[in-house]
Formats: sequence, C-alpha cells, structure tokens
Amino acid sequence: MEKVIEVRNVSLTYHSMQCETLALNNINFDVKSGEFVSIIGPSGCGKTTILSIISGLLAPSDGTVLVNGEPPKAKDSKCGYMFQRDNLLPWRNIEKNVLLGLEVQGKNTKENKERALNLLDKYGLKDFKRKRPDELSGGMRQRVALIRTLALNPSILLLDEPFSALDYQTRLNVCDDVANIIKQEKKTAILVTHDLQEAISMSDRILVLSKRPAHIKAIYTLDFDKSLTPLQKRQLPEAETLFNKLWGEIQDEEK
Amino acid sequence: MKKNNYSKEHKRYLAINRFKSWTIILFQVLILVVLFVGWEVGTRTGAIDVFFFSSPSRIWSTIKQLHSNGELFFHAWVTLKETLYAFSIATIIGIILAIMLWWSEYLRKILEPYIVTLNSLPKIALGPIIIIWMGVGSKAIITMAVLIVVIVTTLNIMNAFLNTDKNLIALLKSLGANKFQIFMKVVLPASVPDIISTLKVNVGLSWIGSIMGEYLACKAGIGYLLIYGGQVFNLDLVMTSVIVLCVMAAGMYFLVALLEKFIRKNRGQ
Repeated sequence: MEKVIEVRNVSLTYHSMQCETLALNNINFDVKSGEFVSIIGPSGCGKTTILSIISGLLAPSDGTVLVNGEPPKAKDSKCGYMFQRDNLLPWRNIEKNVLLGLEVQGKNTKENKERALNLLDKYGLKDFKRKRPDELSGGMRQRVALIRTLALNPSILLLDEPFSALDYQTRLNVCDDVANIIKQEKKTAILVTHDLQEAISMSDRILVLSKRPAHIKAIYTLDFDKSLTPLQKRQLPEAETLFNKLWGEIQDEEK
Repeated sequence: MKKNNYSKEHKRYLAINRFKSWTIILFQVLILVVLFVGWEVGTRTGAIDVFFFSSPSRIWSTIKQLHSNGELFFHAWVTLKETLYAFSIATIIGIILAIMLWWSEYLRKILEPYIVTLNSLPKIALGPIIIIWMGVGSKAIITMAVLIVVIVTTLNIMNAFLNTDKNLIALLKSLGANKFQIFMKVVLPASVPDIISTLKVNVGLSWIGSIMGEYLACKAGIGYLLIYGGQVFNLDLVMTSVIVLCVMAAGMYFLVALLEKFIRKNRGQ
C-alpha cells in the first residue's frame, strides 16, 4: 500500500520569553492509505502537536512532513480535523454547520453541498437538518462534527481525542459509528487518545510516545479480525494482553 | 399539538403563568399611579411644599404651555437629535476600533496605556477644551457625548471579540479559514449578544453625554431647560424636563430591546 503520510526526523521547539521547550524530538513514522493509526502517550507529551504539524497548522522546527508527497498546507488541506468538542456553531442549524467548511474554502458548489447533505441522510441525521445543535444529544453532535469534516472530502482524518468529552455509554456507541463511517468512506485516520482501550479497539497500529521531549518509544501492529466492530474488539482476550503491555509502557514514562 | 389537547395540569400551569404576568403589569402601573396621586394629594393638602417639589398638575400645565408655544418639541428634539447622533457615531467608531484592536495584538499592546488612561479620565474635564475647539452648540455637545460613549463601547466590544471560544477559532483554522473569515463566521456572530448589551448601556450613556454637554455649553435642549429652571427656581420646569427625559430615554431603550428581539428571532433563539 502507498504511504500517504511520511513524517521524517521531525522536531519541534516551543518558544516563550522564559524558556524554550523541546516538545518533539526526532519523530519518524509513516501512515499507509486506509490505515488507522493511534498515538498514545503521557499527558502533555505532544500528541496533539503532531496532528497540528500534519494538518499544516504548525511548521516543524526541524525535519519534513509529506502528505500525499507534498508538504501540508493549512488552506486546502487534505486532512480533516476532528476535535474533542464538537464545536458546532450554536447560531447555525445542523445543515449550515455541516456546510461551514465548504463555505470557508469557497467550495460550496451544488454537487459538494448535495454530497455533504447526503452524508447526513446516510448516517441517520436526516430529520435533524433544520435543528439547532443544542437540540441534539452529545453523540449526535459528534457525528455531525464528523460529517462536517467529511464534507470537505479529506483523504485523511486527524482525530484529536474526539470521544473524551462524551459519557461512557455514548462514547462506545459513537466510537462504533465513527469507525464504521471511516471504514465505509475509506479514509486514512490518525487518532490521538488517552484511552488505551479506545486505541486498541479502533487501530491497525499504535504509536507509543515517550514523555517530553517526545520520541516514538514503541510501535504495536494489531492484527485483529477486520470485520469486528470496536465494541467487539474490546472483549477479545488479546485486547486485554495488549492493554497490559501498553499500560506498562505508559507507566514507565510517568515515573 | 392543538390547544385543547393539553392536559388539565398543563392548562393550570398556563393559567397561573398568565395570571402572574398580568399582575406584574398591574403592579407596574399601580406604582406609577400611587406615586403621582400621592404627589398630587400631598401638594394639595400642603404636606409637600409645591415650591420645592412641584406637582403632577403643575407639570401637566407646564407641558401644555411649552407645547402651545412650540418650545417642548423644539428642546426635546434638540436633545434627542444630539443623543441619537452621539449614540450612532460612538457605536460605529467603537465597533471599528474594537475590530482593529482585536485584529492586531501588536496594536492593542501599543495603545493599551492610552486607552486605560482615557477610560479612567472623567470626560467632563475635557469640556472647556471642547468648547474652545467646537464653540458653544450642538457640535460641542455631540463631541462630549461621543467621547463619553466611545471608549466604553470599544473596550466592551473588543473584550467580547477576544472572549470568543478558542475552540471555535481552532476549528475555523483547521478548515483553512483566514482571519477575515474567522471574524465574519465566528467572532462577530458569537459577540452579537454582547454587542446588544453594549448598545443598551450606550443608550443611557448617550443621554448622560448629551445632557452633560448641554449643562456645559447650551443654547437649547432639555439640559438647557433644566439649568435654566434650576437657576430661576422654577421647579415646575425642572420636573417637567426630567419627565420628558424619562419618556424619551425609555422609548430609545425600548427600540434597542425591539432590535434585540428581532435579532434573536432571526437566529432562532
């Protein structure tokens, strides 16, 4: 399979008047087309920073990133970003929220709009187009947020702890929904999470970061049955073994 | 759902709440009536000195007299015009300045000490300078009022802009939005409630500004009537002016409240 993301020797330094902080130290990894990769690591180690660099919002201090063979640009990015919070604009209805990205990028042509609104129909939000965000449940709102991201037809999805603001039951359901949507739409995805089980249940590969300055400590390749849903994968005995290994890795870092 | 489908409990709930809102209006009117009737009765029985307190009937005859010689409308219009000019000019300038200061953190930092100083300075202190530069008249009064309103407006609206949810701005950036798009699609709509409350405050401040201006440099206006009435100990004229002012200020506030209702309805809130 072709590589869609190549991260080569990437380092990043944050500057403030008091000090400079090396956040990322020589990070290297690739992501193949259609792959689902999770990044885990101790809090504040720079997981989100990696996503910002891949999306082109932040330039690395050193090293190169290639997305589909080109350096990433924030404008006209091939990456769709999904946040911890759904960030739906409360003064717009669901339909207008979903079309926000197309508006911003000046791509609100008739067929693009139709495609985006079809996604709403396809994933069970047909009757909510005219509703306001505060009339929807947390899980539905996060699904709308995903569709807003998909409306721009990105080939890569960057998921920044997208389920951590949801209650546990909703989280399991939305996790299944999102995994299903990503599989159906054939997207490549990178997930940043604190939740080891979530990483185990969704990913093809898991990158473990060390504490700051972060480097890649370990990479785990998962070979669960691809037809299983995340919820089903959580119940496998292998999942538990892997959980313990990952837990050990992270604990080492926290010391 | 049709009305007659409501349960008994819900009908009772509606009835109680309707009754409540009626009694609120009733009490509002009652307070006004009691106040004026008490005032009138007090002056007629001699419990209150008419010379110092005037009376509703004397205010009424003053209004009629001012109306018959055309002075009422003339003075009220002068003050209203000044206030409306000050309100509009200050609001527009304030919003433009707020946008500029939001846009550039650099500019904001440079201008910060100046804005803080101007904000704490009692603007009335600039009265003599304004009169010397502008002369005595409406121009000086409008300038005075604009100075009083514009700085608070700038600061309030700038803060509203700066307090926009950072997450929403991050979202727009992730969608590839430029600064102008971020402003138009998130910062401005998110600040509408704050802008409206600033407008409400501005109504009051504009009246303060125009009356204060008229105290300083007046040939006409309600402020002029107030000063004149005070100087000749004509309390009828002073009280009448205050009441005319109350009516106009309330009317202007009501218009802004109407605008708020309209905007809320358009946003479906």
